[in-house]
Amino acid sequence: MAKVNDIGRSAVGAREDVSVFLQMLGSLFLALAGVLRRPRSLRLTSLVYQLYRVGWQAIPIVVLITFLIGAIIAQQGFFHFRKFGADSYVVDMVGILVLRELGVLIVAIMVAGRSGSAYTAELGSMKMREEIDALSTMGLDPVEVLILPRIIALVCALPILSFIGSMAALYGGGLVAQIYGDMGPAIYIARLHDAVSVTSFKVGIIKAPFMALAIGIVACSEGLRVKGSAESLGKQTTTSVVKSIFLVIVLDGLFAVFFASIGM
Amino acid sequence: MQQAAPQFAIRVSDLVVGFGRQVVIDHLSLHVRRGEILGLVGASGGGKTVLMRTIIGLIPRRSGEIEVMGAAIGRSEDRSTQNAAGRWGILFQQGALFSSLTVRQNIQFPLRENLVLSEALMDEIATAKLEMVGLLPEDGDKFPSELSGGMTKRVALARALALDPAIVFLDEPTSGLDPIAAGDFDALIKTLQKTLGLTVFMVTHDLASLNTVCDRVAALADGKIVAIGPMRELLQSEHPWVRAYFHGKRSLMLQPKAS
Repeated sequence: MAKVNDIGRSAVGAREDVSVFLQMLGSLFLALAGVLRRPRSLRLTSLVYQLYRVGWQAIPIVVLITFLIGAIIAQQGFFHFRKFGADSYVVDMVGILVLRELGVLIVAIMVAGRSGSAYTAELGSMKMREEIDALSTMGLDPVEVLILPRIIALVCALPILSFIGSMAALYGGGLVAQIYGDMGPAIYIARLHDAVSVTSFKVGIIKAPFMALAIGIVACSEGLRVKGSAESLGKQTTTSVVKSIFLVIVLDGLFAVFFASIGM
Repeated sequence: MQQAAPQFAIRVSDLVVGFGRQVVIDHLSLHVRRGEILGLVGASGGGKTVLMRTIIGLIPRRSGEIEVMGAAIGRSEDRSTQNAAGRWGILFQQGALFSSLTVRQNIQFPLRENLVLSEALMDEIATAKLEMVGLLPEDGDKFPSELSGGMTKRVALARALALDPAIVFLDEPTSGLDPIAAGDFDALIKTLQKTLGLTVFMVTHDLASLNTVCDRVAALADGKIVAIGPMRELLQSEHPWVRAYFHGKRSLMLQPKAS
């Protein structure tokens, strides 16, 4: 009986999550429409600052991690493909895997952990300290003032970071190819040129803004769900990261199905 | 400017507020006169803050009417409520200063959002407001995290007064202050109310400030206003909760010495 009860509760919880997500999406678009009507009401200072934080400051760690991932894939590829004498196909694998899937996925997961959690914690502590209430009582819309610049910054930053990350991963793969696979840079680049097309790159990068939107909405709405205690702040931050990583992977799966069906 | 000024600054009639199955405010009616300091007392968790937050539109209500300065108040997202926002200033319990802005920027924030002013003029206004609440102009460059509790409340009050509102809502303004600071704060509120003609709606537990600054006191119990009037009338109230509140051990200082 307790099991049934739990299932019921989590079903209700899941429905609430969906409705919170849709509510935030709706108010975000309302705020965006407001900004499009009066472009001067966009919080430019805040937007630039958030871009600096979630974009510029994330570059070193994104480059490091994706470089390592690219190197590891290439190393594993050489190790196993060598058995079949298929060394040169490692480049195909690295190129397609990184550009289509891994580049954007790894970067999105890192951004969810790095910037999504920061958004949740910031908004949550602002909520705890009644700063958000103070904003609304001054006649300002917290979504427009706090959330819109954050999410726009994320939507702009994630494609750029994905691009940088993919390049770093390809570089890592190339380095391993030279050291481990005795494949010079010229051959690596020539193989890469044959193996990947602009389509693989497009398939990867087009997913980035959608993933950024999902991460931003989850992070901000979880932040606003923080109740008055420090424990709740920690809980919502965890929830935010877990949920946004989950959503990123689900989105990636949906996109894979979509691209397969349109033959990209 | 005061065209047919309504007699009441705040009119709350038949208000019901609840969360889930719990009803916190139950058919409550309350009128706050213009220019008075009204103190609201009630048990902890009894709905004082809920009532205040409902009046300023932060909490949705189930039924009832709220008017502030003659304008009906809806939810905080409504345009009418946002227009009313210029007419009130709110001091939250913990100050609710924006932690990423300096004190000066905090005070200037409502000005920046609502008016088009030159930087020089805004600096002047901020300095004037700082002086008004008894702080030094140098304090303007500090961040909220560097302020003491009393200073935070003063800055929050300065921000609440930035747009020269007609009504100020204070949520436990003296809680967490030492008796001297609390006394100073009471005197400050009284002075500001006299000089600016403010209407003050104050949620408080501080018997001393109820006694010294409030023109009238309203007691909230069981989701209703059970007694309202000047302090001496409340002391004679027959309602059991009001009696317990004002005649308990902590309240003896209010009683005339029986010697």
